[in-house]
Amino acid sequence: MSRFALPRWSLIAALSALTLVAAVASLLFGAVDLSVARLIDAAMGSEDKVASIILFDLRLPRTILALAVGAMLGLAGAALQGYLRNPLAEPSVLGTSNAAALGGVAAIYFGLAEIHPVVLPVLATGGALLSLALLFILSGKAESPLTLILAGIAVGTLAVAGTSLALNLSPNPFAAMEIMTWLLGSLENRSFDHVWIALPCIAIGTAMLLWNGRALDALTLGEDAAQALGTDLRRTRLRLLIGTAIGVGGAVAVTGAIGFVGLIVPHLIRPLTDRSPSAILLPSAIGGAALLTLADLGVRIIPTTNELKLGVVTAFLGVPVFLVHLMRERRLW
Amino acid sequence: MQRRALLAVAALFGGAGMLWATAPAPPAKAPAVPQRIVSINLCADQLVLALADRKQIAGLTKNATDIEMSGEATKARGLPLLSNSAEQILAIEPDLIVGMPASRSAALRALPEESYPLLDLNTANTLDEIYTSIRQTAVAVGHPERGNALIARMEGELAGLPKPGKGRIAAYYQRRGYMTGTGTLIDELMTRVGLVNLAGKLGKPPLSQLSIEEMVAAQPDYLIVESATDKVTDQGSEMLHHPALKDIPRISVPQAWTVCGSPAYTQAARSMADQIAKLEGQGA
Repeated sequence: MSRFALPRWSLIAALSALTLVAAVASLLFGAVDLSVARLIDAAMGSEDKVASIILFDLRLPRTILALAVGAMLGLAGAALQGYLRNPLAEPSVLGTSNAAALGGVAAIYFGLAEIHPVVLPVLATGGALLSLALLFILSGKAESPLTLILAGIAVGTLAVAGTSLALNLSPNPFAAMEIMTWLLGSLENRSFDHVWIALPCIAIGTAMLLWNGRALDALTLGEDAAQALGTDLRRTRLRLLIGTAIGVGGAVAVTGAIGFVGLIVPHLIRPLTDRSPSAILLPSAIGGAALLTLADLGVRIIPTTNELKLGVVTAFLGVPVFLVHLMRERRLW
Repeated sequence: MQRRALLAVAALFGGAGMLWATAPAPPAKAPAVPQRIVSINLCADQLVLALADRKQIAGLTKNATDIEMSGEATKARGLPLLSNSAEQILAIEPDLIVGMPASRSAALRALPEESYPLLDLNTANTLDEIYTSIRQTAVAVGHPERGNALIARMEGELAGLPKPGKGRIAAYYQRRGYMTGTGTLIDELMTRVGLVNLAGKLGKPPLSQLSIEEMVAAQPDYLIVESATDKVTDQGSEMLHHPALKDIPRISVPQAWTVCGSPAYTQAARSMADQIAKLEGQGA
């Protein structure tokens, strides 16, 4: 039990309010200064074409994606940390993000993305699913979380190597820049086309991960005890991995691999709860949405000649917080 | 048998030793009509192809046959293509190397200094500079009259060109939001067809990055894009197809005509003028 534990509803209400503020700010600020009055007029359907295009075609899809992708990453981090009982867990530890990025890069390299825009997210999700198949083969029947983590590192390393290979073989003269965007992540220039690609995947992933709450709580007693309590470990793991693959695959397909959100958010949320894995799932999703939206706002506000990559900002925000929490948590884990 | 091989090796090394011993030699001078011309720059490729005889050309860059990148790509087919390697150049023993500029090439620095006659061309940012490059290349490859004829032909083609732009604003928008500014060939082409460069109006440098949001707010009358980005091939070209940009009329020009100062300048100018006139017709 933590001293800071808040009643669950008030934590969720506070996080939701923060997320709402972040989302509104994300609609108000951008590369072009537009007055609040002008934006409200545009939202009401005025004739102001510039303001309405900027609001509805540029800032709105970007904000929606920041919220959805942030929520997915935060939730995936919380679920994986709960399942693996390991504070370092997040999608990239299992190699899912990297494999999804490899799928996306392969789509570009083989020119498959030209056939239809949907090929890109399908291959990204496919890459994530393939990494899970490999994970199952590598970790085998062992129920130990450590085996899974080691297998995840192997798969992730393979995916990064594959991405580099694709870069070396690519006929696209701009491949280096493309792949950098994939590996650092960006929400720049996203449109509603991307929203429709990512949202269904994220909805499926979120549903599968939220379903796992009770099993994760049982797992805190240890795997044998959880099984004795009637938890089907294999089903729990299957839901967890497939939910992560589809959700993270869909997110990475449109934003690239954004690190640290899944790692940080559960650590920020956990002290405010009773520390049971199920209690941090939903708050982590909402907190992830707020964090990524704020980070994306930072990307737009920090004056640089080229827009900063989102992964850079999340790393700068994330690493100090993460280190502080790691020091403190060492006693508790 | 073995002895003969040894002798051959000794001769090889001896020869190499002599080669080093003779440096530094005076700058090599090209023959009046060189017979083994090597181009080490994509833009130089196009000038050499336009002005030299096919049999004079001993090597072009590896992108010379790429129709997306070179206006003379079809002519380059079947000619030897070189990667940027000193060894290949050594093997050819060229009697003229054309570059932009040739003397700053990394591959040539690896070779003994001043061993080959070089033609240093400057990057052409205006029509006059294109004419200068054409004249220099024509003289160097031994056909000065072809240079004059080509320039006369280009002048003729440009003389009758209308200026349908009427002072409207255009932005040359590239993948990932790069915008071409003033002091460039693109800027000169815009002026030639009567357009005003948005980058100049906003006071941007020759190459700047403009977000879609800023582009929407700037409201140019036309977007000029590379025809290669008409199709979405990656995230970089995808951004040019963002729904927020769909209402701005587009002029699409092959990069092959504009990336180098080459004879294709007139094609680019003609194509832009035609497309503006066509868009005008639709608007009216």
